[in-house]
Amino acid sequence: MSGAGRRWALPLIGLVGGVASGLLGVGGGIFMVPLLVAFAGLSEHEAHATSLLAILPIALVGAAVFTVEGQAGYWLAALLAAGSLVGAPMGARIMARLSEGTLQAVFGAAMIVVAVVLLLP
Amino acid sequence: MMFLAGLGILVVGIVTGVLSALLGVGGGIVMVPFMVLVLGLGQQLAEGTSLLVIIPTAVAGVLAHRGSGYLSVGTGLMVGAGGVTGSYVGARLALVTPDDVLQTVFGIVLAIAGVRLLRSGIKSRRAG
Repeated sequence: MSGAGRRWALPLIGLVGGVASGLLGVGGGIFMVPLLVAFAGLSEHEAHATSLLAILPIALVGAAVFTVEGQAGYWLAALLAAGSLVGAPMGARIMARLSEGTLQAVFGAAMIVVAVVLLLP
Repeated sequence: MMFLAGLGILVVGIVTGVLSALLGVGGGIVMVPFMVLVLGLGQQLAEGTSLLVIIPTAVAGVLAHRGSGYLSVGTGLMVGAGGVTGSYVGARLALVTPDDVLQTVFGIVLAIAGVRLLRSGIKSRRAG
């Protein structure tokens, strides 16, 4: 991060990521990571780390809204979270060894595959 | 059967965790389609459940990144400050949107973001 002029972009990027997170039930990283690279001058790795941190308060608020309306499965969430906690440290270790281009290409390809399956009738 | 289903969900959780830390996302792009397509949940229920899972996953991801030198707490908090306003609005919007419409929006957004990222990744690999 360099240049004070870029700091004003940070809450705005968060706002965009937050709306996407609440609307789609994702962390919002798919929006925040490219925006942080393009408008806040972060590297791909910095953007990923920053996005993870911002996702915490974002997901807390979103989850609270869905939970109050009864749209959240606690047991399913607990099971997924248990597996997820085992997987997360593995992912972080792999990330440190990958180039930014590879990271983006793998991420992008995976998203397209999932989207196609989801949009099929 | 119940045990096998539980085991399967656990495995999906592990994959989600790896991808989450690897890509700097909460893993929702993996979990929401899994819950909708495989478990047959409604889009709203899948999204709410996904957000619940993202909380501990993001905590673990942040902890794992601590020593990497890529994490800036001040920057993350500034993004998060704008983010909480957005997530409240987004979640309210999702809860008044029909499941099938929400699923289509999810798929379209995912496809667009995926294409953009893949292109930029390929470009940066060629340059490097």
